[in-house]
Amino acid sequence: MDAFNNLMYGFGIALEPINIAYVFGGVFAGTIIGMLPGLGPISALALMIPITFAMEPSSGLILMAGVYYGAIFGGSTSSILLNAPGVAGTVATSFDGYPMAKKGLAGKALAIAAYSSFVGGTVSVIFLMLIAPLLSKVAVSFGPSEYFALMVLGLTAVVSLSDKSLVKGLIAAVVGVIISIVGIDMQTGTERFTFDSVQLLDGIDFLVVALGIFALAEVFYMLLRGGGGKEAPRNAIGSLKLTRSEVKEIAGPVGRSSVLGFFTGVLPGAGATIGSFLGYSMEKRIAKDGDTFGQGNIKGVAAPEAANNAACTGSFVPLLTLGVPGSGTTAVLLGALLVMGVNPGPMMLEQRPDVFWGVVASMYIGNIFLLVLNLPLIPLIAKILDLPRPLLLSLILIFCMIGVYGMSFSIFDLLLLLGFGLVGLGMRLFGFPAAPLILALILGNIMEESLRRALQISGGDWMTFIDKPISLGLLVIALLSLTLPLFKKRLKKKVAPDVAN
Amino acid sequence: MTSLTLKRLSLFALPLAAVAGLNSAAQAQEWTPSSSIEFVAPANPGGGWDTLVRTMSRVIQQEGLADESFAAINVPGGGGAVAWAQVARDEGNPHKLFATSPPMILVPLAGASRYDHTDFTPVARINTDYSIILVAADSDYQDLDDLLTALKEDPSLSVGGGSAPGSMDHIAIAGLASAAGIEASAVNYIPFSGGGDAMTNLMGGHIEAVVGGAGEAVGQLGEGSQLRALGVSSEERLGGGLSEVPTYQEQGFDYTFDIWRGVMGAPNMPEEAVAYYEDLFAEMLETDAWREASDQLGWIDAYQNSEEFGAFLDQQQDQFSDVLNELGLLRQ
Repeated sequence: MDAFNNLMYGFGIALEPINIAYVFGGVFAGTIIGMLPGLGPISALALMIPITFAMEPSSGLILMAGVYYGAIFGGSTSSILLNAPGVAGTVATSFDGYPMAKKGLAGKALAIAAYSSFVGGTVSVIFLMLIAPLLSKVAVSFGPSEYFALMVLGLTAVVSLSDKSLVKGLIAAVVGVIISIVGIDMQTGTERFTFDSVQLLDGIDFLVVALGIFALAEVFYMLLRGGGGKEAPRNAIGSLKLTRSEVKEIAGPVGRSSVLGFFTGVLPGAGATIGSFLGYSMEKRIAKDGDTFGQGNIKGVAAPEAANNAACTGSFVPLLTLGVPGSGTTAVLLGALLVMGVNPGPMMLEQRPDVFWGVVASMYIGNIFLLVLNLPLIPLIAKILDLPRPLLLSLILIFCMIGVYGMSFSIFDLLLLLGFGLVGLGMRLFGFPAAPLILALILGNIMEESLRRALQISGGDWMTFIDKPISLGLLVIALLSLTLPLFKKRLKKKVAPDVAN
Repeated sequence: MTSLTLKRLSLFALPLAAVAGLNSAAQAQEWTPSSSIEFVAPANPGGGWDTLVRTMSRVIQQEGLADESFAAINVPGGGGAVAWAQVARDEGNPHKLFATSPPMILVPLAGASRYDHTDFTPVARINTDYSIILVAADSDYQDLDDLLTALKEDPSLSVGGGSAPGSMDHIAIAGLASAAGIEASAVNYIPFSGGGDAMTNLMGGHIEAVVGGAGEAVGQLGEGSQLRALGVSSEERLGGGLSEVPTYQEQGFDYTFDIWRGVMGAPNMPEEAVAYYEDLFAEMLETDAWREASDQLGWIDAYQNSEEFGAFLDQQQDQFSDVLNELGLLRQ
């Protein structure tokens, strides 16, 4: 029971009063930061580097890690209540969370998000504790070919995300890919779709698009359809309690998505956003009532929430065992650790066990804090839905604008936000689904870069995708997930006449 | 994603500082800042420029070297071009500085910025890092000669780096190849989205070698490491964890490459202000707090005053435009 002893040692550190205070402070600050659209964990952590400088490295990382997973935890709140994702990792949560809130089930949606996040967070800490050193091998086994195959698999979800019309879903996905490649091309340094604008050189920030297409478009849509805001008074919050059958229903999705999310997080370059989308689309395909996803299915809230929190914890694997940051947020964490005099890497488990095990143990505590902190807050926060319609709409508008402006202090980004709001409105009016666009936006760029990198390494030989077992396996799964539904349909068709007879 | 609170703080500090400045600055012969200084990192939090800006601001404040505070502000975009365009509009402003490094020369040469280094006032060079070549620990390449010979025979061997073609890492390896008699444009340089990304790919055996910053790599070397360093681009061996790594020159390749970092200011900054900052930064480099931070981050002091730094930048521009020209990436 080596892991057990180590964990006890870790709890010895994490349970020091000062560290308990840091965990609590971290997750609390993180929850708030996560709730505010735009203000994400990256900028919050960068601000904290001077504060943590003088701390014990284990305390510093405990605090900063708390902010990070706290933000992912809290980000679901604004996704569900306002359709305005608080952080990139919670975009998928709004697909079913917001429809639930509209049906008067906001309390339930928030509670499911909190429970699923808790389970995702806790399951992934157990993985982190037991197999982190082994996982560093998994993390490096993904090269450009493997990433390309993974992105292809991710993109097949477009089919299941395009509710009624597959053609419209594909059109939306292509637009998403186009948006994702705006800016300087990493491979050649060529500018693409920048129209000579300096502001577009670095591409378009994912959150600007997500807030525009979801939150702003929703505001516009309500304005267009809502009349004077005289709709029937909503039972705004609803019950927080889950029935036994509901718990049973989400247990599977939460468990699967926790594992899937964790492994996605372990891969440097994937992370919470991709993890949550993979979790969501996997459950949508598996579920018998998959066609009700997007209309307020509780599994559609549970899956991405478990996955994004698990991925967040998973992203500590490459950081702590390889010394390589897998995302912007962990890059800031790496910088902070270096400043505190800790060199994360293969030797860290031996050289600084206090940091590694202290943080792992603090994550158990932090996740419990988050649950205890968030559940009682739900009725309070959900009161926001009691606001009169005009006030609520203005509030969403202001949140989005502050969030986007706060990211870069750029008026240009505000105009982009407005533009994407109008695009989103148009898409709603003409029945184009938004999810495929967002998915393609996240995956498109990585897919293209990986494809070209892989081919550059192989000297233009396409066999590189088939020669490597991992990439071959992922491509086969992608192919199956596209073709199996067709076979199923055929089978059904064949069976149906028999029944009729 | 910019530091919301710091920006707020600096806005808040401005009026206070202006009032305080009225009393002292008027009579004094020497120029001193009359308000807090906007210190711009032309990138997102977490990168090299951001670390420089925040570390300098912190040390100056901790040691009480300046009466006014340095407020770190992130202006990301276009590899620096967005921030440069912003600073360029602030002609003569003595309270605006920004962190700079080789992209200040490379990005304009690649045609991606309207402004180049001659549009701004050089204030001081602060420190430097060097380029390093890494291979997997179990690789057959024992020294630089092995790798470069292999590259000569098979130019399709992939060398990864953490930046786009025509930027720092690419120039570093292309220049070395050129010094070894290999055509610079023949190197199969694979750009990754960061030094860490390139190193994971090297560990996984997806590429043959990586060129990156020595400071960034030092944590990956040493006992139990999966990587091995073949050489550094400095003139003399580096200290600490890199003391075992031979230089390129030692191995018979006459090539050095500096990843310098410095501070520049708004166009036509008054001379007195430049003199003030020169002295301030020179003083800062002498403090223990700076020493400590530099050691942890693997930085090596390389101070130059405004005049020397300006001349150095011109010389870098000549050198880089030659390499970029050879690579066919010169667009200016």
